[in-house]
Amino acid sequence: MKSFFAGFVRTLSPGIALVLGLGIISAVIVALLPLQPRGGIQIWLGDGNHANLYRALAPEWNSRHPDLPLTVSLISGPALQSRMLSGFYSGTPLPDLIEVERGQIGQVFAGPLKDVGFVDLTDLLARDGLKDEIDPASYSPWTSRGRIFGLPRGAHPVMLAYRSDLVEAAGIDVRRIETWDDYFRLMRPLLQDLDGDGYIDRYPLTISLTNASFSEIFLIQGGGGYFDGMGNPLLNSDANVRIVARLATWYAGPGRVIGDINMYTGAGLRLLREGYAVAIPSADWYVGNYPVTLPSLAGKIKLMPLPAWERGGRRTSANGGTMIGVTKASKHPEIAWELAKFLYFSPVIARQLYDLTHIVSPVKSTWSASYYDRPEPYFCGQPVGRLLQRAIPDIPPRPSSPYLSSAVQLVNSVITQLMAITDRQGYVRPEQAAGDARRLLDEAQHTLLDQIHRNVFQASPSP
Amino acid sequence: MSSRRPHPAWAPWLFLAPFLLFFAAFGAWPLVRSFVLAFEQTFGPRTTVYVGTLNFRFLFHDPLFWAAVRNTTVFTIGTLVVQVPVALALALLLNRPDLRGRSLFRLIFFSPTIVGSIFVGVIFSLLLEKRTGLVNTLLHAAFHSWNPDFPWVDGFVMPSLLMASLWLSVGFNMSYLLAALQNVPADQLDAAAIDGANAWQRFRHVTLPAIQPVIGILVLLTVVGALQLFDLPFILYADSFGNGPNNAALSIVTYLYQTGFRSGDLGYASAIGWILTIALVLIALGYRWLTRGEDAAA
Repeated sequence: MKSFFAGFVRTLSPGIALVLGLGIISAVIVALLPLQPRGGIQIWLGDGNHANLYRALAPEWNSRHPDLPLTVSLISGPALQSRMLSGFYSGTPLPDLIEVERGQIGQVFAGPLKDVGFVDLTDLLARDGLKDEIDPASYSPWTSRGRIFGLPRGAHPVMLAYRSDLVEAAGIDVRRIETWDDYFRLMRPLLQDLDGDGYIDRYPLTISLTNASFSEIFLIQGGGGYFDGMGNPLLNSDANVRIVARLATWYAGPGRVIGDINMYTGAGLRLLREGYAVAIPSADWYVGNYPVTLPSLAGKIKLMPLPAWERGGRRTSANGGTMIGVTKASKHPEIAWELAKFLYFSPVIARQLYDLTHIVSPVKSTWSASYYDRPEPYFCGQPVGRLLQRAIPDIPPRPSSPYLSSAVQLVNSVITQLMAITDRQGYVRPEQAAGDARRLLDEAQHTLLDQIHRNVFQASPSP
Repeated sequence: MSSRRPHPAWAPWLFLAPFLLFFAAFGAWPLVRSFVLAFEQTFGPRTTVYVGTLNFRFLFHDPLFWAAVRNTTVFTIGTLVVQVPVALALALLLNRPDLRGRSLFRLIFFSPTIVGSIFVGVIFSLLLEKRTGLVNTLLHAAFHSWNPDFPWVDGFVMPSLLMASLWLSVGFNMSYLLAALQNVPADQLDAAAIDGANAWQRFRHVTLPAIQPVIGILVLLTVVGALQLFDLPFILYADSFGNGPNNAALSIVTYLYQTGFRSGDLGYASAIGWILTIALVLIALGYRWLTRGEDAAA
C-alpha cells in the first residue's frame, strides 16, 4: 500500500496529488454530512400575494401547532413545476402542500390515477362535509377521472371590463346589450380610424390572439370547450364549430371587429391606456390588475356581464386559477389537510385576498360578506366584488385533462387557419366559415384522439 | 536513455479514469437509457411500460412531428441560403485593404453573438411587435400606407425567425470567413491580377478555392445548429410555448421538449431525439463523403 501511494504521488506530482487528495476527502465529508431534517409543514407556491398572506398567518398556525411550524416557500412558476414533477416522478424532496396554477396541473394527471402525486381529496371533502361548501364548477380544473385533487383558490368569473369614458361619450347604453350581436352592433361607432390613415385605431373588443387561453373564455361560455367531464375530447362539437366560425369572422376578414393586444406586455398596457380597445374580457384576478398596472385609467373603467351567445344565454365564463393540494410525500397528511382548509376556507384570508387581488373566493359562506358591496372609485364606484360574486353560480365547468395544452394548441391552430381562410375568402358571416370550421375541428379532434389513444396509462381503471 | 523507471501499467488507465467515469455516467449511460426509453411509455422515470416500436410508428403518422420536421427543414435551408452568403459578403467588405475602422465593424457585427439567442429573441419580439414595434412604427412613419398592425411575427413566422437568426449568427460566421480571407496568399491574387483576371475572376478562381474548407465547416455548423433550433421560437412565441401560429414555428427540438418535459412522455421524446440524432449523423456522414476529395488532397 505504501509503495502504491508513493507511486501515485510520484506519477501525479505532489501538487496534483494534494489537490486530488483534498477533493476526495471533501467529497467523503460532504457525503457523510447528515441531511438537515425538514421540520414543520411546508408549502410551495408561485404567487407572491398568496405567499405574503400565508406568511402573515403563520404565527396563528404556529401557536396552534408549535411542533409543526409553517414554512412558506415562494418559487417561480417554471421552477415550481419542474420541482413538483421531479418529486412526483422521482421522489425528490417535496413539501406537504403545493399551490399550483391551472396551466401546470395537466401533466400531473397524465399517468395512472394511483400515481397522481397529490392526495385524492374526494373522500376527505365528503367526510368533513365540505364538498358543497365550494362552487362545483370551481372543482372541475382540479378533478381527474372523477376524483378531486385540489381545493380551488378562486372562482375566477369573467366579466367585460370596458372604457366607460369612451362608451358614455359615444352615447351608448350598455344596459341594452344582451348578446355579442347586440354588443358589436351598438359598439360599431367605436370601431374607429382616429388619424385618418385608413387603418383602425380603436376596436370595440380586444383579446390576445397569441394567448391560447383566451379562446377558452368564449368556447366554454357558449357551451363548447375542450373535454367532457370524463376527459373525452369535444373539439369538433357543434357548439365549438359555431363559436370558432364566429371568432374567425370577428378576428379576420372584411368584418373584423376585434383588436389584438398582448395584455401582459408593456406595449399592450400602453395600447390599453391609449384607448386602442374599448373592452377586454377580464377574470377576477385580471380585474385586480387594472388599478396596479393602469392607474391613469382610474374612473374610466367599468365592468359589465359578458354578452351572451344567444338571448337568455350565459353571461360569464372562467379563466385561469390556482389550487392547493396535499402531496403524497407529506409525513403529516392530516395536518396538511387541516392547513389547506385553514388557508382556503378562512373568511379572513378570503377578505384579504379579495382586497389584494380581487379574487373572489369559491367558498359559498363568504359570498355574503359586506366587503364585496364596497363601491370602488377606480371602477367608477361600482361594487366590483358583488358583480363578480353574482356571476359565480353561472360559471361553466372546465374539465381537466392531461391533454389540455394539446387541445388548446390544436383549437388555436384551427382558429389561425380559419382566420387565413376568412381573409382569403372575404367571409363576413359565421355561416360562411362554418364548413371550414367543421373540417378543421374534425381534423384537430382526430389528432387529439390519436394522442390520447396512445397513452396506455389513461386506459387504467379508476379505483 | 532515461534512468527513470517506466510508468506502471495501470498509469494510463488512472489518467483516463476521470474521463471514462464522466463519459460513462453522463454520456454512455444516458445514451443507452434514452435508447431503451424510446421503446417505453413513461409517466416520469418510475412508471414505465414497454410499448415496442409504438413510439416510432406513431411518430411517422404524427402531424405535429411532421410539421416540426417541415419547419426545421425550411429553417435550415433558409439559414444556409441566407446566412453563409451574407457572412461572406460582410467578410469581403471588412477584408478591403482601404477600409478604416475594421475592428469597430467587426465588433459591431460580432456583438449579437455575444449577447446570445435569448436576448436576440426578446429584442426581435419587441422590434416586430404590431403597432408599437420599432419596425412597424418606422415603416408607418415613412410610408403612411404601411399597416401599423402588420403581423411580422404572427403572419411571417419563418422570415421572422430567419431574420433573428441572421442577426444572431452572421457575425460569428463572418469572423471565421474574415480569418480565412486574410490567409489567402496575396502573391496568388497579385499573379492573377497581372495575368488580367478581373475582380470576379480573382474571387472565383483564387479566393473561393482557398476559403472553401472554412465554408465547408461553416455549412456543417450552420446545418447542425439550425436542426437544433429551439430558443429563438421559444422566446418569440412564448405564449404558445414555441409553437407559433398554426404550429408554424414548431421545431423538432421544441416538440421534443414539449413532449418530454411538458407532457411527461419521456419515451416519445426519446424516440424524437433518436430520429434527430440519426438525421444529424447522416448529415455529418454526407458531409464527410462530399469532402473526401479535400481530405485526400490535404
